[in-house]
Amino acid sequence: MNFQAKLKGKDYFISVTEELRTWNVCLQEKGKQAELHEIPKENFKRMDQAISFLFEDSSYMIDVVGEGTQYTVYTRGSYREIPLFNDESLLHESLKGGGVVGTSDTLKAGMPGKITDVFVSAGQKVDAGQPLLIMEAMKMENEMKASHACVIKDVKVQKGDSVESGAILIQFEQAE
Amino acid sequence: MFKKILIANRGEIALRVIRACRDLQIESVAVFSEADRDSLHVILADEAHYIGPAPSKESYLNVDKIVEVCKKAKVDAVHPGYGFLSENEDFCARLKEEGITFIGPSPECIALMGDKIQAKKTMQKAGVPTVPGSDGHVKDVAEAKEIVKKVGYPVLIKAAAGGGGKGMRLVTKEAELESAFRSAQNEARNFFADDTVYIERYIQAPKHIEIQVFGDTHGNVVHLYDRECSIQRRHQKIIEESPSPSVPQEVRQKMGEIAVKAAKAIGYYSAGTFEFILDNVTKEFFFMEMNTRLQVEHPVTEMVCGVDLVQEQIFVAAKQKLSWKQEDIRQRGHAIEARICAEDPITFAPNPGLIRRCRHPQGPFIRVDSYAYPNFEVPIHYDPMVGKLIAWGDTREEAIRRLSRALDEFTLSGIKTNIPLHKSILEQPKFLDGSYTTQFIEKDFGDLKDIFSRVDDRVFLISAAIEAYNYHKDRGSWKANEKPSRWAVSGRNRSLRTTEF
Repeated sequence: MNFQAKLKGKDYFISVTEELRTWNVCLQEKGKQAELHEIPKENFKRMDQAISFLFEDSSYMIDVVGEGTQYTVYTRGSYREIPLFNDESLLHESLKGGGVVGTSDTLKAGMPGKITDVFVSAGQKVDAGQPLLIMEAMKMENEMKASHACVIKDVKVQKGDSVESGAILIQFEQAE
Repeated sequence: MFKKILIANRGEIALRVIRACRDLQIESVAVFSEADRDSLHVILADEAHYIGPAPSKESYLNVDKIVEVCKKAKVDAVHPGYGFLSENEDFCARLKEEGITFIGPSPECIALMGDKIQAKKTMQKAGVPTVPGSDGHVKDVAEAKEIVKKVGYPVLIKAAAGGGGKGMRLVTKEAELESAFRSAQNEARNFFADDTVYIERYIQAPKHIEIQVFGDTHGNVVHLYDRECSIQRRHQKIIEESPSPSVPQEVRQKMGEIAVKAAKAIGYYSAGTFEFILDNVTKEFFFMEMNTRLQVEHPVTEMVCGVDLVQEQIFVAAKQKLSWKQEDIRQRGHAIEARICAEDPITFAPNPGLIRRCRHPQGPFIRVDSYAYPNFEVPIHYDPMVGKLIAWGDTREEAIRRLSRALDEFTLSGIKTNIPLHKSILEQPKFLDGSYTTQFIEKDFGDLKDIFSRVDDRVFLISAAIEAYNYHKDRGSWKANEKPSRWAVSGRNRSLRTTEF
């Protein structure tokens, strides 16, 4: 699962993969080298009200409070408040703002769902705010709109398709 | 001696008084509001009585209700702690009427020192120095010169109608006086349409120094030396120490003697504190106010003087003579206290809420007065202070290191606390050399955000990410990089309310 995090004004990309006996965490500060941490699960051990985390030969009693996109982590008399967005939560954020998720040249599904309608086709010019498609997810119909005027390069889905989180739905022509 | 004492307070100070009662084998009676049903003082006292809804006015400040509980529980005496009814002369007088002893000074002393103008006049009469200045308006430069001769440089010329620094001039030598006086007058006229100005001594590098006094009902008064409380945020103390690193021994001696004389002049008994402002350049001190109660920071005095101030308050209330003579009181070593508050360490906004993990520091020369425990919800209705951490050392440096060690061990999660701020303060050069003033937090502290530099950020990021992963996994979110099982897809499709078959 991929996350975008913010701490002290810096952006981080964090990828978490769960293996049978390890957590593989790839941590990358924006513009810097990524570092991979293979953390045996016995070194990140859940106890009553706390997590015992052995990290680089130091043991931390960790308490993580939060859910969704906002986490507060306490340890060693200090704490950090960390917003953490995965693809799905990024979509939620974007829906709140009425925009779309993804970079300027793709529209991605932020969560698994089903395409219930498609309004555009390849080569079509769209204006900002124009509806592109409707995706049903979490028992809600989400109408996805164009964030800016552009030209549709390709539509990767059809009405009735089931899509996974992160699937590319529509590609746009690169803006000049 | 009393058989049963009611504590008209809550939080850590209620615990402090309960402990003194236990030590003296006196029964303790707690009172609690709706918000404090699970508070520690309720659990630790021999008896606990409900006194009303959460707002202080309807509970901890409700004199009628508290007196009713006193009668019902048949207590001999009431300890008011600090805050709430501790400096309320009406409560004190009411208890007297009911034949219950108030553990504290006389209602007359409370009333006299509660009126700040009256208090200042009384202290001046008793020979206590107050900030020198013109008694009223200064009409011209000639009069200003006369006054400054008495007051001494540096002085502030202030507009009587002033505010926000307008019509205010700092004068450090005679040559500047005339022009500064005229420009202050002009500015006052332009801004406030009123050119009356007055003159006051300018306190350089101001420090908050206080003297603990203790009297009995037989006319004996002693002082227990000084405490420095200059580290403040929002004009409230957060770190206190004894002895002050800035007060020379002869000045300390003089402050103590003056405080004893002043306490005797008003017939003071029980614990009291004279607060002074000290000019750290000239080492002159001036009376600010007197607190007619036990102070939050009393433990630092207890640690360096080796006395139990609350126990002594109970003795004095029972009309016993003071346990000590002045020559019995010695400052030994150094003590520092850090107030642990449920608040944002940068904005200082209160942050009450549910305490998840809680582990108090232990080890040599550490004292913890705290009412925090796991799964306790700090109520939003009262002061955000949840406890005090006090360390003793042979020297100031040793006390600081021990306090720092104990802060490292202090675990409180679920609520924000000022522990990171304290740890950072203990490393600041101006704190370490003792030159800090009451403006320390605003002026000398530097970037408050630096207080989060201590623990490796990666530990927080990785922990948050794994927990976020678990959160999303538990809610059935899928990984974007994996092909889902067809069972899952089919199941999900069925769960969507579509009309397709």
